[in-house]
Amino acid sequence: MDKSTPDNSGEFFDQFLDDYYAECDEHLVLIRRALVTLEDEVDTATIDRAVLDNLFRSFHTLKGISGMVGLGAAEQLAHHLESYLRELREGSVVLNASGFESLAAGVSLLENVINARRNDQAIPSIGDMAARLQTATTSAPADTENNAAITRWQIEFTPTADLAARGVNVNSVRARLQEIGELKQAKPIVKGAGEIAFQFILSTNAGQTTLKSFEVDGLVFQAAEEDATAQKIRQPVATLAPSTVVRVDLDRLDELMRIIGELVISRTRLEDQLTELKRSTPPAVWRPLQETSFGIARQLRDLRESVMRVRMVPIGEVFERMTFVVRDLARENGKKILVQLSGGETEIDKFLVERMMEPLLHLVRNAVSHGIETVAEREAQGKQTEGLLSLSAMTAGERIVIKIADDGRGIDRDRVLERASARGLDTGNTQLDDAGLLDLISTPGLSTRDEADRASGRGVGMDVVKNAIEELGGHIWLATKLGEGTTFTIELPLTLAIAEALIVSVDGQRFAVPQSAVREVLEVESTSTNVLENNEIISYRGKVLPLLRLARVFEMNHELGDKFHVLVTGEESNAVGLAVDRIIGQREIVVRAIKDPLAQSKGIAGATELGDQRVVLILDISALRQLAVKSRH
Amino acid sequence: MEPFILFELAGTTYGVRSEFVQQIEMIDDVASVPNAHPAVEGVVLVRGQVIPALNLRTRFGFDKVERNLRSRLVVINNGSRVVGLVVDTAREFIKIAPESIEPPPEALTGLSGKYLEGIASINERMILVLNLDAVLDLDYEVEAALETT
Repeated sequence: MDKSTPDNSGEFFDQFLDDYYAECDEHLVLIRRALVTLEDEVDTATIDRAVLDNLFRSFHTLKGISGMVGLGAAEQLAHHLESYLRELREGSVVLNASGFESLAAGVSLLENVINARRNDQAIPSIGDMAARLQTATTSAPADTENNAAITRWQIEFTPTADLAARGVNVNSVRARLQEIGELKQAKPIVKGAGEIAFQFILSTNAGQTTLKSFEVDGLVFQAAEEDATAQKIRQPVATLAPSTVVRVDLDRLDELMRIIGELVISRTRLEDQLTELKRSTPPAVWRPLQETSFGIARQLRDLRESVMRVRMVPIGEVFERMTFVVRDLARENGKKILVQLSGGETEIDKFLVERMMEPLLHLVRNAVSHGIETVAEREAQGKQTEGLLSLSAMTAGERIVIKIADDGRGIDRDRVLERASARGLDTGNTQLDDAGLLDLISTPGLSTRDEADRASGRGVGMDVVKNAIEELGGHIWLATKLGEGTTFTIELPLTLAIAEALIVSVDGQRFAVPQSAVREVLEVESTSTNVLENNEIISYRGKVLPLLRLARVFEMNHELGDKFHVLVTGEESNAVGLAVDRIIGQREIVVRAIKDPLAQSKGIAGATELGDQRVVLILDISALRQLAVKSRH
Repeated sequence: MEPFILFELAGTTYGVRSEFVQQIEMIDDVASVPNAHPAVEGVVLVRGQVIPALNLRTRFGFDKVERNLRSRLVVINNGSRVVGLVVDTAREFIKIAPESIEPPPEALTGLSGKYLEGIASINERMILVLNLDAVLDLDYEVEAALETT
């Protein structure tokens, strides 16, 4: 940077750059979304004008702001993209496949240029891309009768006695349509009053004049809206209205959340004091106070939910990014892949979204590179040539469930086992269930990635994916079937800050257990436990439930009494009972992160305070289960 | 002249630059963290933040003593980390000229010698100036131990 720039203006410029990157991100999200829509419109004459307008506007803005921060490469690239868009908008060129590729590649490069600047790396050259875009802008000829794009038409034919007399019936219509194009669909439809009509979907390059000549025979043409057989879900192109959107630093929202957290704690204290008051005063004294306290609790909940809503962003933005990764990867690998998105409107905490990006990218890349087969392989197996990758999200109570499913070859257990034993890993039994398989592929160092992927420095290992999810208080499951596909299911809390928890006590120390991790609470007598091999077990609902003594995992010098409480955690087959002295109660807790490595410990997810300024550690149930499994071996 | 906070540990006076000291507190309640480093007594809540309480006696290899009314938590904030140091007592604040801080003599042995930035002598009084980065880095101990063997 210019040495003569005074310090404060340097700071100002940095701030300015931060705003620039944030705005670039916003526009790149809009652009990616628009491109996904456009991809379906390649070679058609029915491009949605609004999509083009939005794209044009985004490129125009990027050009302007890039110029303002002096990022010439981005400015010029945005200019070329904008020029191409202008031609498309004016209809002087048709969006063909190569034009779309240029557009998509141009956008990727634009993103790279901006990121290079952000990370202080060398700015990639834009010369070739600029030339390519220029060619696209000037060469593609406009729509003419002879060189028309393929258009889909929806045609309706209503037979009448008159037409039949002239020899025009459904069979003759069908034959005529097949002459001028490809018939995609033909079906009878019932119109009002029992009248029967026929509906055809025709894909043709015939111009309007040819079609007009058909109208005398009672055919009604209209542009076909959507390919009903393909299930690709198209996202509506949202426009961002800049005037009503405020960009807020996540740190400020964190601060707001912290203050609300303190209010929650103050109210807990108020409630404790009320309990005291109830002992010594008549109801007439404490009842109005009690009602006020309940009122505050309600209002606090509303306040908390409002602030939480501000932190929530739709996961669709992440999904759309993935579709681009899939597109590029599929092309590199010679695969055809249809991406199905659903539940993109599901909202998730911004903090979680950012941390989920890498793990999701890894799973998606894996699905494309290793899951879905090449076209030839798929044909040989009698599968659809187009592989299916579906990304879906939904909320389930306080959690969000994300699924990444492919219909590819599935994970080969034998190969994984082979690799594992080749590396000297203890694979235990050879009958691996899905959970065991996931554990195995998540072992650090056991990578199924091939050399090419590693060379390109792509992604992270499955171990990192699993850890990242578990650090966020989430879980991941695997379901895979050889030849049929693989599904990863990820469950995450919607937000991290406040949770319902059970407060338990072990050797006088209190711990908080997230309620969402506990299925049931049991009271157990020490005489009813049994020891099987190295495992302590109790019977639970006619099954065996392995027992995990918290005091033992934490190496506290303490034994349980004659009667103790057990928290049942985990799913059916791998349920584990967590044994504690007793359960003290149920509370709403404010989750605080333990940031310093000195105080971090496996099995502890964070800390909280219950109104008495004393720290209570929050247990990380899934990590505890892992610890337990390890200590068993 | 640079301001320093002084504290006592096993009869010796130590100093830390006051710019790194966020506050000094009485120690009420420390929640012990399972399976943590032996020198980590646990975690405490300071200004809404959960921070580790590091017992300097254990850290430096001195005998541990029961906490009493004079025990203090010196909360260190070096910009990237916030850590509480449990010390015998802390109640002095002085200014030391940088030139009066000498590097620790090579001959100084004992675990605590590894964590010193220098020694200041003021009016016949010896003040050991801590190297906070070394104190807060638990891996440092391993390295230091390796060097001596």
